[in-house]
Amino acid sequence: MASNPAEISNEDVASELEAWLDANWDSEKRCEKGKDKLDTKSWLTKLLEAGYAVPTWSLDWYGRGYNTKQARIIDNILKDRKVIGRSQDRYNLGAVTVYRMGNPELKQELLPKMLTGAFSCLLYSEPNAGSDLAGVRTKAEYVAGKDGGEYVITGQKIWTSNANEATYGMLIARTDWDVSKHSGITFFIFPMKQNGVDIRPINQITGESEFNEIFIAEARIPARYIVGELNGGWKVLQTALAYERLIMGEGATERSGKEKSNVHALIELAQRHGKLGDPILRQKIAQAVAYRHLNALNLRRAKAEIVENGSSSLMSLGKLAMSRVQHGEARVASEILGAASLLDGDDFPDSADMNFDSAKSYMHSIGGGSDQIQRNIISERILGLPREMEVDRNIPFRDVKSG
Amino acid sequence: MTMISTNEQEAMRDSFARLLAEHADEDALRKAIDTKAGYDPALWQKMADMGITGLIIDPEYDGLGGDADLLEMLMEEAGTRLLCSPFISTSVLAASLIGSSSDEATKSKTLSEIVAGNLTIAVALTGDKGLWSAGDVAVTAKQINSAWQLDGNASFVMHAATADKLLVIADDNNGLRVFLVDPDSPGVDITPLKANDPTLRLSKITLSKAEGQLLEGVGDITIENALNLARIALAGEQAGGVKRIFNITIDYLQTRYQFGRQIGSYQAMKHMAADMLVEVESATSAARHAAMSHAKGAADARALISLASFACADAYRDVTAQAIQMHGGIAYTWEHPAHLYWRRARTDLWLFGSSDQHRDQYLTQLEAA
Repeated sequence: MASNPAEISNEDVASELEAWLDANWDSEKRCEKGKDKLDTKSWLTKLLEAGYAVPTWSLDWYGRGYNTKQARIIDNILKDRKVIGRSQDRYNLGAVTVYRMGNPELKQELLPKMLTGAFSCLLYSEPNAGSDLAGVRTKAEYVAGKDGGEYVITGQKIWTSNANEATYGMLIARTDWDVSKHSGITFFIFPMKQNGVDIRPINQITGESEFNEIFIAEARIPARYIVGELNGGWKVLQTALAYERLIMGEGATERSGKEKSNVHALIELAQRHGKLGDPILRQKIAQAVAYRHLNALNLRRAKAEIVENGSSSLMSLGKLAMSRVQHGEARVASEILGAASLLDGDDFPDSADMNFDSAKSYMHSIGGGSDQIQRNIISERILGLPREMEVDRNIPFRDVKSG
Repeated sequence: MTMISTNEQEAMRDSFARLLAEHADEDALRKAIDTKAGYDPALWQKMADMGITGLIIDPEYDGLGGDADLLEMLMEEAGTRLLCSPFISTSVLAASLIGSSSDEATKSKTLSEIVAGNLTIAVALTGDKGLWSAGDVAVTAKQINSAWQLDGNASFVMHAATADKLLVIADDNNGLRVFLVDPDSPGVDITPLKANDPTLRLSKITLSKAEGQLLEGVGDITIENALNLARIALAGEQAGGVKRIFNITIDYLQTRYQFGRQIGSYQAMKHMAADMLVEVESATSAARHAAMSHAKGAADARALISLASFACADAYRDVTAQAIQMHGGIAYTWEHPAHLYWRRARTDLWLFGSSDQHRDQYLTQLEAA
């Protein structure tokens, strides 16, 4: 490895990785060279040791100190050669949070595990803390003991995906009830595989079960698994959420290849059902398609502004705009289908798709910050309008009303 | 065909914005409204001095040779100020129609005069229904010996009462043709129509055995091209106007207090504002991408022009309507500018095709793609 990453040319970054992969990875079999099948842990360890799991991280912490441009080159090559475990400095939220906000001892202990297959789920939302995330009531109580003691956790978390597969949970819990709501929260790395953790799938209105409810009864966390400061969890959470939104935003742009097929989906549906000549439906179809098209044009403008100025406030509008797109498209699809909207199941695939999409639209307009919260964010952060008065801002959390 | 660099375009935008700030502020606007012509000829001359009247005219005739993207950019500035001028009729529609003609004598005679600011031309494109489509043209042309005779009427003609020349679209039974008509010649009657929007002047033109000079080489396609350029210009104007009235409203939300707090701190207002911002930015994106696509001659230009036409028109209508509501009583007064934007928005909805027509056309373009 060269001593100063900044001095390595992009060509050398690429050729060095290509050579390493030629020696170590079998793209055909999708496993380590010389083996017959993938041993995930062994391969991820090898990738980690070579610095290719988290190329933008520092040399001290499993990385290569590459800049984002160099990391993009690495990512493209790993993607092309179907390598498992690429770009964890972007996609592995648990590891990124510990790397950014954890102390050296915690990084030392957890990062090697987190980067070799022990991934993390999110334990943020609670039944009574949805849009108002700082209202969490899951309790973390300190108990003295060896190795700095531990915290005993009791409470309920919700909307967690991949909970059964996760080794760790990124947990926010209340550690001080006598200060205002943002000031008494601590961010923990929570070991999922232990007694007192009950994972129950949520049956969603789409018929899917992507999310779980987690009931936690006196489960334990070593005190050293706090990320950031005790009672400083709100700040850590903001960093973690910012990364999550960044990845979601990138996901949205990477999926733009799907954009064209979505634009034509309604037109094709109308064609199949002989409705494309209906002048009233034509108006509605055109308007629904236009909203999607306009959002794509806003995104294109945003990208150009980012290239020019480094940022664009237009990025914040996309989520709200997409809610209108998805609810609107499902509604127009239903109008195209007419009374066939009443039907469902495998025998009526167009109806089934439409009914599924109608329900799934709420995933977008509620999940990850509801439309109403988005409107607050847009009006406050972009337009500079004042915050609405908050009655729970400067009182001890103990006295905050909940329900 | 853009020979103007991005930097030069930005510089033009800045100087045009400064010109309008100096000569087309609200006071100037209200003065122009009260004149018979409905615009300030001195400002028109200043626009000519900057080259703006000849924005899209070929340099061969002293114009700037600018493309649709520059046109859109400057129209955003015009829209910001609700500029009253014969720009769209003279410098977009007429300049485009004459520019696409093969009649060299007429081109060299008229185009450089438009550039110099000496000539305004009103363009009669549509009949009483105002559909801006071939089927709505209610003027017929017939050739008698070597002369052309025009009969019928055209409506919603912008700035016709003050125009030095008229361009009349007429049907000669073989398609649409364009004729140059002298407004003072026999058989030409121009009757002003009272417009709801005081920033606009409209007329009805009645022709009976009026003489027209055929503009050679201009037909259905070139007429549609001219209309599309006008639609891009209008979309730019709408994008500029909608942004301005939105900013005026946001300022008001921050300075108006009721119940001891800024009204902009109420979610009832904030949520309206956030939704309006989506409309404002979408209108801007639509107008700019339509212009860029047209300038590049891209395959999706026609679809994007239709999209911009209804997206900008509807956004302008909705945001200006909400702006009055959010201001409350103050915007119910004639003295407040909100209603002027609202009137312009409601006018623009019906120029060069309705939103419903544009939506249908947009879908037709997508079906073909």
